[in-house]
Amino acid sequence: MIGRTGRLVAAGVAIVVVFLTWAFPVLWTAVTSLKFAKDIFAYPPKLFFEPTGLNYDGVLGGRQTLVNDLVSSTVISLGATVLSVAAAIPMAYVFARCHLRFKNALALYTLFTYMIPRIGLVIPFFVVFRKLGLTGTYSGLTLVYLSFSLPFAVWLLVPYFEDLPREMEEAGLLDRAGRWRTLWYVILPQVRGGIAITAIFVFITAWNEFLFGVVLSGSEVRPITVAMYNFIGVEQTLWGPLTAGAIVAMIPVIVLGLGAQRGIVRGLTAGSIKGGSRT
Amino acid sequence: MTRRGSISLVGIKKTYGRFTAIRDLHLDIEPGEFFAFVGPSGSGKTTSLRVIAGLEPVDAGRVLIGDADVTAAPPGDRDIAMVFQNYALYPHMTVAQNIAFPLRMVKTPAEEIAARVRQAAERVQMGHLLDRRPGQLSGGQQQRVALARAIVREPTVFLLDEPLSNLDAQLRLDTRVALKKLQLDLGVTAVYVTHDQEEAFTLADRMAIFMNGEVVQVGAPQELFERPDDVRVAAFLGRPPMNLVPGRLDPDGLHIDGWDAGPLAVPDAGPLAAGTGSSAAAGSREVTVGFRPRDLKLGGTGARAEVYLAEVMGEHSIVNVQCGSHVLKALTADTSPRRVGAEVRLHLDPAAIHLFDPETGRRLDAPAASIEAVGVSS
Repeated sequence: MIGRTGRLVAAGVAIVVVFLTWAFPVLWTAVTSLKFAKDIFAYPPKLFFEPTGLNYDGVLGGRQTLVNDLVSSTVISLGATVLSVAAAIPMAYVFARCHLRFKNALALYTLFTYMIPRIGLVIPFFVVFRKLGLTGTYSGLTLVYLSFSLPFAVWLLVPYFEDLPREMEEAGLLDRAGRWRTLWYVILPQVRGGIAITAIFVFITAWNEFLFGVVLSGSEVRPITVAMYNFIGVEQTLWGPLTAGAIVAMIPVIVLGLGAQRGIVRGLTAGSIKGGSRT
Repeated sequence: MTRRGSISLVGIKKTYGRFTAIRDLHLDIEPGEFFAFVGPSGSGKTTSLRVIAGLEPVDAGRVLIGDADVTAAPPGDRDIAMVFQNYALYPHMTVAQNIAFPLRMVKTPAEEIAARVRQAAERVQMGHLLDRRPGQLSGGQQQRVALARAIVREPTVFLLDEPLSNLDAQLRLDTRVALKKLQLDLGVTAVYVTHDQEEAFTLADRMAIFMNGEVVQVGAPQELFERPDDVRVAAFLGRPPMNLVPGRLDPDGLHIDGWDAGPLAVPDAGPLAAGTGSSAAAGSREVTVGFRPRDLKLGGTGARAEVYLAEVMGEHSIVNVQCGSHVLKALTADTSPRRVGAEVRLHLDPAAIHLFDPETGRRLDAPAASIEAVGVSS
């Protein structure tokens, strides 16, 4: 039999392995972003080197600045987040509550749109967007991100609505609030956690999106992921600016994750306690 | 004539897929009445309440509240308030905000809201806890907030869906009294769903007994207790429930299965026995014989039986006796211990006998008082 200590050691080892697997690429990126070009390619890799902020100066100011692309990414991701959450709330509510003909078929269809391999959609989207003049525009990229973030948001939100006691809504209806005001005053405040977690997931997914961005963006409106890709050239890869850009691009996501951590934890556990506030 | 606060259900039918929740419900509730829907789980009583509330669309029939046909009206337009079994308070709002909610939804001026919220809260002794949230209240306090939220808008009809079932026993007794008092003070019509007959007895002016989606009998609680129209009502009401044993009505009187003291003479057995009994013989029919445990007396020189088990409970005891193949219950004030297997004699007050048709379960309408005992050997 393995004792308590044994199990603790095993758990510790597992945690370290998992952490290193996750953290190594991030740490490597962070370290590389602080190196001069000559140190990046040094072999064997240098553990101790002279750090520099040059790469960051480059991506935040110089000729290769990524600031515009950060703005683009922010606008597109926020747009996709706000629109998909706003549309997903009533959709998820209906899926969770209303008796509807073809509800299962619709629900399945919603999921189905999420299952299509995205690469298969890139060319059709490109053709359509060219015709409509949507390539390289904020609205175009927001729209294309919506096409996969909306079903995702609906599927995330449905369980939160399902877990609310039905009587709560019925009380709202009897209190003369009607459907919409019941949704607004009674239901939404109670699924705040779920909405927050959905918004964060949608934002992060949109922020990290690359495939559609690289095909459908232009030189003016270009997500940060695509901009970084331009550091990888045919003749050489600018590892310094690339890694600095990657770290910069990570910061909003990390900040968002930390800031909303409490909400995320609450949102994840909210569904497990039915009517937990009452006993 | 306006009948503010009256409720009429006319031919209500409600099905869920193949399951029929309400068959064909006709019911009239008077203004200001405290009316209880009583019945076992799944009998359709809660569904009927929800039909009145407008929370369940009906498949057929009409719902009238006051003079208005509200069959198609949304819940908010019916001038009703409801207290849910789990109270359904809004957990993100304070007590004051919860009570104020129905007023806010109809754009009541802020000062008026404040005054009426305070008034309603004080009515249920919650005036000092207005700033708490539901999660910080006990079950009884939450229940009172739900009541305050219902009374604050001064509805004409008050619907209560087992409002006491989540409270502990002592609190339930206290709240029961407070609830009845509140209803009397406000003069509103109250429809109250419960599976607890004791609650129905103490609270209700009248009650309807629901069984399998049908109302089997309507009337004042005591009336239903004294004169059940249906064997299911007889079996449902009363603690302990009525003894029901098979018997046969012959020209010479009533034979109760296992009762060895001879037939009980029923003077007008003729017309009764001429009914559509299962017995082929003319003037004879099978019946179900019912009598309350309080009417089955122990002692004397009546029918022979033996003690099956005696349950002594303080003020009285329930003596289960084996009589033939049936175990009967007798309720007696005699709390002296009884040995299992001891012989006892049973005496039955014949005026207390109820007869039911064994097939339809309906009451066989012999005036109970005219049945006289001759067969009790003495």
